[in-house]
Amino acid sequence: MTHLNISDVTLSFGGLKALSNVDMKIEPGLITSIIGPNGAGKTSMLNCISGFYHPTRGDIFYKNKKLTHASPHQISNLGIARAFQNLELFSGLSVLDNLLLARHQNLNYSILHAIFFYGKASRIEAENRAYVEEVIDFMELEPYRKSLVGNLSYGIQKKVEVARAMTLAPDILLLDEPMAGMNIEEKEDIVRFVIDIQKERNITVVLVEHDLGVVMDISDRIYVLDFGQLIGSGTPEEIAQDPKVIEAYIGEDASDEQK
Amino acid sequence: MSTNPWLATGNYFTSYKQEQATFHTHLDRSVFTLFLFLLFAWPVFFPMGNKYMLVIDNILIAIVAVMGLNLVTGFAGLISIGHAAFVGIGAYTVASFCRIMGDSHIFVTHFWPVLIIMAGLMGALFGGIVGLPALRLKHLYLAIATLSFQMIFQWVINFMSFFNQGQTIFVGRVTWFTGTVGRKDHYLFWYYVILIFVVLLGFGIRNLLKTKYGRSLVAVRDNDRAADAMGIHPGLTKVYAFALAGFFAGVAGALHAYLYRGVGFESFTLHESISYLAMAIVGGLGTLNGSFWGPVAIKLLDLNVEQLAELAGRYLPSSMNLATALRPFTFGLVIVLFLMFEPRGIANWWRIVKSYTKLWPFRY
Repeated sequence: MTHLNISDVTLSFGGLKALSNVDMKIEPGLITSIIGPNGAGKTSMLNCISGFYHPTRGDIFYKNKKLTHASPHQISNLGIARAFQNLELFSGLSVLDNLLLARHQNLNYSILHAIFFYGKASRIEAENRAYVEEVIDFMELEPYRKSLVGNLSYGIQKKVEVARAMTLAPDILLLDEPMAGMNIEEKEDIVRFVIDIQKERNITVVLVEHDLGVVMDISDRIYVLDFGQLIGSGTPEEIAQDPKVIEAYIGEDASDEQK
Repeated sequence: MSTNPWLATGNYFTSYKQEQATFHTHLDRSVFTLFLFLLFAWPVFFPMGNKYMLVIDNILIAIVAVMGLNLVTGFAGLISIGHAAFVGIGAYTVASFCRIMGDSHIFVTHFWPVLIIMAGLMGALFGGIVGLPALRLKHLYLAIATLSFQMIFQWVINFMSFFNQGQTIFVGRVTWFTGTVGRKDHYLFWYYVILIFVVLLGFGIRNLLKTKYGRSLVAVRDNDRAADAMGIHPGLTKVYAFALAGFFAGVAGALHAYLYRGVGFESFTLHESISYLAMAIVGGLGTLNGSFWGPVAIKLLDLNVEQLAELAGRYLPSSMNLATALRPFTFGLVIVLFLMFEPRGIANWWRIVKSYTKLWPFRY
């Protein structure tokens, strides 16, 4: 069964086609990567899935629900979480509060309970705090839980970004370049987390990443975009052999010279 | 090993509920209780004239209003230049009852706590309506929308005969268990009433900020795109922020109406709106205790400047009209100085003092 079905999606801004007739099928429990050169439309694709953009043509289905015109908060409630490429954290709040914000939909007490903060509100807050602590433990963020996010280093903030998406307890996790701008050690850390997220928590991961070494290593399936068009799909081995993909990355002449 | 419950040292939280508590040590709790006790007790030992009680009551009302403004501007990051109009909505709710039922109707004089809450709800209603542009607008454009509400409010009050064209509408003397509150006890009585409101609303905000209703406000301030991705509806959260601020303003307005025993439009002008904004900035945007520092600082400054202007007026030629010029001048100067040198407001000084005393006699 396909988890997320992207069929014939076109996204155009005026005359510019960011995506044209893209088909993708995201299978449950796998790591699916979307790669492509700069400006290929990878982030636009994620924006379409998470509801920040709405496709001009085509549809996106999740478990037979149509997501095409849903807004981001509706989509995140359906269980599709998103980590942003450029840090989009709540910089005035602590790591703990950032993660608790991701539990927003699970905190179902009324505003009167909140004002008096007895019974229900207090209990539910404590329960969700326990859940957040579990994620903090998983992502190894213990030393930073009380620090303001704005004061943390870039690498840690990236980790918080992933952790916050995890705290939504999603079925599908969309990661937009979680390793951009990090050193080798931090990259290895994040890769380990991504694999753990998939293996231990059984979350479907959609990964957009530029580091081809990482992508080839951990992906189960790869989709390649170039100028908004899908030019290849398959397992890492198939993609590595695909002449169209090589052409997009290295250029036509180079492959001629190799012959 | 038993630890000392009076100090934070050596006490570890063993459950998340413990960490939620407002006061973590016996010391914190007793200092606060003592402070509260003193607030209630001092008028018994040091009775003050009506003139000074009026100033103190005014400060307390401003605290209620600024608590609301701080929620919408400080926590939710939506600049509101129409806060005095919301305060006016609360005051004119009381005034409307006086116009319809007569200013000494039993509902106005006996059920005044109900009327004050109703005024708050009315403020919340108008806050929600004025907040509706927040579904579409951001930043300065939204601020202009609140400014236009201020203007509409002033015009409506000034031209409707129901509101006496902005001239004073009288509000009757209220009755307490001891009988009608007379001229002598009036300001003392309202001191206690307003103080109780301040304490209750203060605790309300404190609790609210620990929950999702407080966090979502900060979320839309810091990053409403990400808030959307976290399942928070950014537009509705902003409308809710305005409604919340409207509630506080409405309560403040009703208290104002009862304290002055009359409602006139000059207390709810654009100048007052700016002055509330100044109090929020000087106190510290986005902090709860800033809502207390700001009104105290600005109101006391205002008093001192008045005296200073009087003094200076004796030595300088009267054509300079110093008294009128000095007030807006110092007022503007204080805001500019705070924005330049302490944008986090007096609340930041309080934070520094607190952390210093906590660690004393050690440096860190």
